[in-house]
Amino acid sequence: MDTYIRAASQISMQHPLTEEWMDAPILPSAVFNEPLDPDYKQFISPAEARRMGRLLKRAVAASLDTLQKGNCTNPDAIITGTGLGCVENTEKFLNALIDNDEQCLPPTPFMQSTHNTISSQVALKLQCHGYNSTYSHRGTSFDSALLDAIMQFQLKRISTALIGGYDEMTPAYFKMLAKIGYWRSASADLASLKQAGMTGSLACGAAVSLLLTNTYSPECLCRIVDTNLFYTHNPEEQSSLIHSFLQQHNLSETDIDAVMCGFSGDDNNDSVYHHLLQSNFPDTTALWYKHLFGESFCASGYGVYCAAICLKHQQIPEHLIYQSGQNKPSSINNILVINHFHKKDFSLTLLAPCSSSTPL
Amino acid sequence: MVSDIVITGIGVISALGHGIEATADRLLRSESGVGKMRYLKTVHTEIPVAEVPFSDDDLRGMLGIAPDFSITRTSLLGRVALREAVEMSNLKKVDNQRIAFISGTTVGGMEKSEQFYKDFLENDKRNEYIALHDCGACTDMIAQEYPGRITMQTTISTACSSAANAIIFGADMLRCGRTDLVIAGGTECLSKFHLDGFNTLMILDSEPCRPFDKNRHGLNLGEGAAYVVMETRKHAEQRGIRPICQLSGYANRCDAYHQTASSPEGEGAFRAMQAALQSAGLQPSDISYINAHGTGTPNNDESEGKAMMRVFGDKVPLVSSTKAYTGHPTSAAGAIESVISILALTRNFVPANLNFSEKIESLNFTPVTHVMTDVELKHVLCNSFGFGGNDSSCIFSKID
Repeated sequence: MDTYIRAASQISMQHPLTEEWMDAPILPSAVFNEPLDPDYKQFISPAEARRMGRLLKRAVAASLDTLQKGNCTNPDAIITGTGLGCVENTEKFLNALIDNDEQCLPPTPFMQSTHNTISSQVALKLQCHGYNSTYSHRGTSFDSALLDAIMQFQLKRISTALIGGYDEMTPAYFKMLAKIGYWRSASADLASLKQAGMTGSLACGAAVSLLLTNTYSPECLCRIVDTNLFYTHNPEEQSSLIHSFLQQHNLSETDIDAVMCGFSGDDNNDSVYHHLLQSNFPDTTALWYKHLFGESFCASGYGVYCAAICLKHQQIPEHLIYQSGQNKPSSINNILVINHFHKKDFSLTLLAPCSSSTPL
Repeated sequence: MVSDIVITGIGVISALGHGIEATADRLLRSESGVGKMRYLKTVHTEIPVAEVPFSDDDLRGMLGIAPDFSITRTSLLGRVALREAVEMSNLKKVDNQRIAFISGTTVGGMEKSEQFYKDFLENDKRNEYIALHDCGACTDMIAQEYPGRITMQTTISTACSSAANAIIFGADMLRCGRTDLVIAGGTECLSKFHLDGFNTLMILDSEPCRPFDKNRHGLNLGEGAAYVVMETRKHAEQRGIRPICQLSGYANRCDAYHQTASSPEGEGAFRAMQAALQSAGLQPSDISYINAHGTGTPNNDESEGKAMMRVFGDKVPLVSSTKAYTGHPTSAAGAIESVISILALTRNFVPANLNFSEKIESLNFTPVTHVMTDVELKHVLCNSFGFGGNDSSCIFSKID
């Protein structure tokens, strides 16, 4: 069973709905970054837009853009990851509830506060009655949605799936997470993100969407060999799980041309990647993406997205390289995307060029 | 039968009490858990709810958790249910196996966040609860009930069908050979947030709810948690545990009609039930009992009823909603009702649909109004539908 990424789109602090970040990345200039919103009129009527929160608008726009790029009108499944759901609406309702002592509350923010609002609004927009699910599991929310999609393909229930990772960051939530050490305290520059001994990362909302299919077509970006989730605190076990994951696909660590890691500038987070690179991939080039897309519960989606775009263009831009390895492969074949949350929830996603299994 | 997935452990806590025996007992005696609010601190004390009859301190005591340990009510309920399921399935004796933990929730830590929200923003008194707010944190906290044994975890949040979708995802993991064992279900506690939310939507009955009654006027919110342990039949045989029943079919479909309302003809529900039957390789006439979603709202019950008529024609099987016992425990509903379906299936009874007096005119069936015992049930269909049209159905069958 092969699964391909046929199309992808993103809204982030990079130029929206494009791959311009490959050649002209926008570097973050603050700890709290807002995504650059596209012109929503091409996807959503002004009347619809008024009823939608900004996360919903981003999710609908990224989804529709992906479907257009992938020439698909109605996917067989819609599967979403969101760590926090529709925070803006949740806060609106929560504040009203507290301030008005639970009296005379507006129903709309509540209706659009549940985490599955995103998946269901996209389904409503597309009139898609197929499989529809939502994962809300912190830093592996997107990864869970991806795993679910891969299983639906494996079980031969679907031939296309629209998956996405969507999170928004509000000033209030940013402030709360700042208190428990999520963010850099001082204004950050890019160099300091690689500096050891620092904690906290840069915040940005996420909207990343992928169209997956089980058939190859020339516009496909890459092939998803497999993905899996693990839960373990033990660093040795983490290392051996990577090894056995690759082994299952008749590969070893030296077959991996680049490892896409979730380095965020937070030492607590980054030390895990340093350890795994050292134990499993001492000579392999390590890539990163959170310096361009920020940290959020769904940031891992950009890891898969960036790796897919690199595979499609057979090019890794200099600015994605975290550290160069001794191994300098002549072409980019296998990219392993490693993600973890709080050193215990792990995901591994192995991507390869379409052509490695499909004669062109 | 297509499926080789069996259930080897179940655990539950709801307004009916703690554990499967208390649950079965109350169902057999037709005793509702809906009543006056005791623990939720809200101004709307007049609204009937189905609270778990234990305070946070009681739950901590049951679990041996220290009074000063920061944990949300959602996680406490989840841990109690998980413990029962793990014990029944003898999981503590299992070594070197992959165990996936899939939990559904939507409220997550909101019940604490809504109390401490101003503290979160203005001082450092309650910072420990900031990290416990999100759905994934709730799952992670429950997984710690069973330390070092869970090898993969995730959280599903599809509103009121979350737990059903957790069971479905877990079953798919088994079918794909991605795990050896699954603990799946969901947990939810009452919060002002969703009580007020449902109240603004005007779908809360000021009386005990009346599912499938012509004069039904809304739902009663409930709370609780339930988990099932699943594995392949072969795996259960190998480790020498006797399966309770099998999960013979399931499906997830989307109504794609409205953010909160169900379509008049129950499109999503119809598709979910039909696809579940198909996945089980069963005919509609094979279903002995339907544990309906049956919330008691005018919209749901008519829509679900119409969908049943589309699937079953003029031969709708025995139907009851157990929402008048447990209230609507939202994200936990799919798991609590799966456990109730499994109890009914294995103990050959059909719980009564309480508070029913008059048939809905547009439907061709009435629910079971008095508990039926000594009924031979073979296949039980359990419906779970959520906001956003996230509709799922599971079929539990006797071991054949």
